[in-house]
Amino acid sequence: MSEPLLRVRDLVVEFPTRRGILTAVDKVSFDIAPGEVLGVVGESGAGKSLTGAAIINLLEPPGRIGGGEVILQGQRIDNLPMEKVRKIRGSRIGMVFQDPLTSLNPLYTIGRQLTETIQTHMKLSDADALARAIELLTEVGIPAPETRIESYPHQFSGGMRQRVVIALALAANPVLVIADEPTTALDVSVQAQIIRLLKKMCAEHGAAVMLITHDMGVIAETADRVAVMYAGRIAEIGPVREVIKHARHPYTEGLMASIPSLGHDSERLQQIEGSMPRLTAIPDGCAFHPRCPKAFDRCMKERPELIDAETTRAACWLYDKAEAAT
Amino acid sequence: MTTGPETRAEFLSRPHGFATRMLDSDILHSFKQSKLTMLAALVTFIFIFGAAFAPWVAPHNPFDLASLNLLDSLLPPAWEEGGDPRFLLGTDDQGRDILSGIIYGTRASLAVGFASVIFAATLGISLGLMSGYFGGTFGTVIMRIADIQLTFPAILIALLIDGTVHGIFDNVTRADTAYWVLILSIGLSFWVQYARTVRASTLVERNKEYVQAARLIGIPPFLIMLRHVLPNVMGPVLVIGTINLALAIILEATLSFLGVGLPPTQPSLGTLIDIGQDFLFSGEWWITIFPGLALAILVLAVNLLGDWLRDALNPKLR
Amino acid sequence: MSQPELLEVQGLTRYFDVSKPLLNRVVERVPRQYLRAVHDVNFSIGAGETFALVGESGCGKSTVARMVAGLIPPSKGAIRFDGIDRAAARSSAEERKLRRRFQMIFQDPFASLNPRWRVDRIISEPIRAFGLAADAQEIEHRVGELLKLVKLDPADGAKFPHEFSGGQRQRIAIARALSNRPEFIICDEPTSALDVSVQAQILNLMRDLQDEFGLTYLFISHNLAVVRHMATRIGVMYLGKLCEVAPSHELFSDPRHPYTRMLLDAVPDIDMTGRARTPVKGEVPNPINPPSGCAFHPRCPHAFDRCRSEEPLLEIVGERHGASCHAVAEGRI
Repeated sequence: MSEPLLRVRDLVVEFPTRRGILTAVDKVSFDIAPGEVLGVVGESGAGKSLTGAAIINLLEPPGRIGGGEVILQGQRIDNLPMEKVRKIRGSRIGMVFQDPLTSLNPLYTIGRQLTETIQTHMKLSDADALARAIELLTEVGIPAPETRIESYPHQFSGGMRQRVVIALALAANPVLVIADEPTTALDVSVQAQIIRLLKKMCAEHGAAVMLITHDMGVIAETADRVAVMYAGRIAEIGPVREVIKHARHPYTEGLMASIPSLGHDSERLQQIEGSMPRLTAIPDGCAFHPRCPKAFDRCMKERPELIDAETTRAACWLYDKAEAAT
Repeated sequence: MTTGPETRAEFLSRPHGFATRMLDSDILHSFKQSKLTMLAALVTFIFIFGAAFAPWVAPHNPFDLASLNLLDSLLPPAWEEGGDPRFLLGTDDQGRDILSGIIYGTRASLAVGFASVIFAATLGISLGLMSGYFGGTFGTVIMRIADIQLTFPAILIALLIDGTVHGIFDNVTRADTAYWVLILSIGLSFWVQYARTVRASTLVERNKEYVQAARLIGIPPFLIMLRHVLPNVMGPVLVIGTINLALAIILEATLSFLGVGLPPTQPSLGTLIDIGQDFLFSGEWWITIFPGLALAILVLAVNLLGDWLRDALNPKLR
Repeated sequence: MSQPELLEVQGLTRYFDVSKPLLNRVVERVPRQYLRAVHDVNFSIGAGETFALVGESGCGKSTVARMVAGLIPPSKGAIRFDGIDRAAARSSAEERKLRRRFQMIFQDPFASLNPRWRVDRIISEPIRAFGLAADAQEIEHRVGELLKLVKLDPADGAKFPHEFSGGQRQRIAIARALSNRPEFIICDEPTSALDVSVQAQILNLMRDLQDEFGLTYLFISHNLAVVRHMATRIGVMYLGKLCEVAPSHELFSDPRHPYTRMLLDAVPDIDMTGRARTPVKGEVPNPINPPSGCAFHPRCPHAFDRCRSEEPLLEIVGERHGASCHAVAEGRI
């Protein structure tokens, strides 16, 4: 088994407030293999965006990393000084965010932004950088790239802009792309094109993807493995097909059952009672226990770690071998 | 740190009035953090208190002609040679106590200041709300008038209005109506700021769905503006108002100093400075300096409070 | 014997003037520009039905919703509710009576409740506006009942909106929508801003309430799966025009219009059936400059000459099933 590209160990993201320290991401651990697409899915407040931001050190103060390690290709990156982090951003980790209007600078042509990124991380002459930029634009499906390279972001449609953002993210050949809700702001028909494009581009450039989203459908189409987050912790992690079709964790089960399906009619959608706890009021033990139909004593007292549950790993005491024996 | 969601009982047992929410809020917290702001608030409070209770706080009534004694005139402050402990800060040429004069003068300054701010705010907020909510030609016209007015300095506008009224009325009416004319002229020079901010916020709120929900059930525009939009656009108004207060006090003092504000019979701090000016170079410095100092301290304190309020209400700086 | 429809929309059209200001137009010599948001839309909704309007951005579904709600006037066309023409002039008392029968649930749970008002005041506003309660006590009682109906605690009436989560706020919005006992509720993307598990709760609640009170819904959404779950009939819109209207199950089992088919193929396959799907082509064009003829022709695999010049009309292709496509009308697909 090859060395994982990214290792995240016991990552903690916290917010000091005057009422105490709020833990938004609570000891999250996972690996991403080279070239793999890992989906990180969860509802709002689960901490998935913060996890992505913490990895590239883009947490907005007062948020900060409160513990744990982030190791990229064998090297720790969470404790590096700012200039080193900046070098990593772009050259080894590329980013695709939700809103292309804010990821692209409206004052510069996309050609300028592309060549700037390319030349910051790769030693290329102006002409070579421009050629590479045009090549990238062709790859992402922008028609007539030689002329469009002189255009400004506002002259593109939403889907086209997101293609440019993907091109920018891959410009310096990073080994990992972190995409945070890349298709949420797009129409359904454009979304389909963009997720196919993202998957194709990353496969061709040999980049792994950490795809953060709340949309299970996007995960089903794109990811190889998926981590389901709940209240700042990972509830379940495993191959995409297994997690979606044979979820082990009661939360994942409930989540999948509550998604309306295009394939069949349903009288009533299954619902999970209650709602995700606020950061100030996370229950003891397993964070999901107040809403869990299968909760028992131990769930209320001890927080479960990720336990092997046949095909996936779930943070649930139901799968503890010792528990099953009693 | 709580271990579980608060129960209904716990929630209902906590008091939830406006005062309690204020006390617990981030605003009060930031207030307590800054010693300077607390000092400024204290000073302002002292001034307001003194002004409100002037008849009881002031050691003398300088405008009761019967109590004046010309023998007490031009006395220096109590700690100087020749001073009299009865008149802590000295007396003027008519035997009026400077300290009492300052207290009554502050009363006049603050009264005009507050009243003109309230007038400007009411006018500005109303015009801003209507111009933002209805838009169209009406809204544009109001904003253009506002733009034009902004090209003139406030003092010029106040002088214009003041001067015109003075020209129309004779001496007697002038004295009687001095307060109202001042409030009108100062208020009319300051309404624009309120109108602009409120219009900008109204344009945003007007498109929000809670306004649509009210329109849906047929609530008339006037009620929507008053009950729905107004509470949501008041935030910046408070900050503008506080800073405005300082400006209004200075503007009033300037007008009085120039002789077109409050008359010497009901002087404000500005009037007192004007009166004392004549005596400055003949050595009786206290007649003008003390009112001047009082004005400066008052305005500084109000300005500091306004600064703090603006920062405290700005979510980005917290 | 067919029942008269509760809501009838005929030839509904709405233009927006998006011209530059007068000065700019004079200097730049640019003509006035109009955005055709809705063009000649016809549909009807029977009592107790849930009619969904589905489509992507710029299709005009929200504009239709707002016209039906009476928030913006149509440029052309008629909206008839229970036989009454919405746009016709009437006394204010009669207008009030008509408005009382409508309500609306909005998309953004954070913007649809006045942040400065307490929840009980928000919910009771329609009651007070229509004079439906005798005194303050009755209002309080009714608000408590409504909060219980949406599975919230009557004591929540004393709180402010910001103390609630998105899903809870949407429940408050639903409680407000029910407070004047309407017959017809327009739901503008009511769950688009909510998490999936919360969405399930809200959709179930809306269906329960519909059954309990015999409500009729006009349901706007861009999410086909949600619409499949909620609607009895569905209308698919594209750039202001209605492409296809069909009963719910028929739209999914037998989509006729090429755009409907493309939309269905674009939805991610969460069941991982691995079904064969045609890749989507192109993007929604700018509504200010729509393509000539059939607006979908640049992206349509079946487009031919007639599509570029002539706008297709809605033709019947099945039981209560219509599609506006030349290829369908000519039996080519």
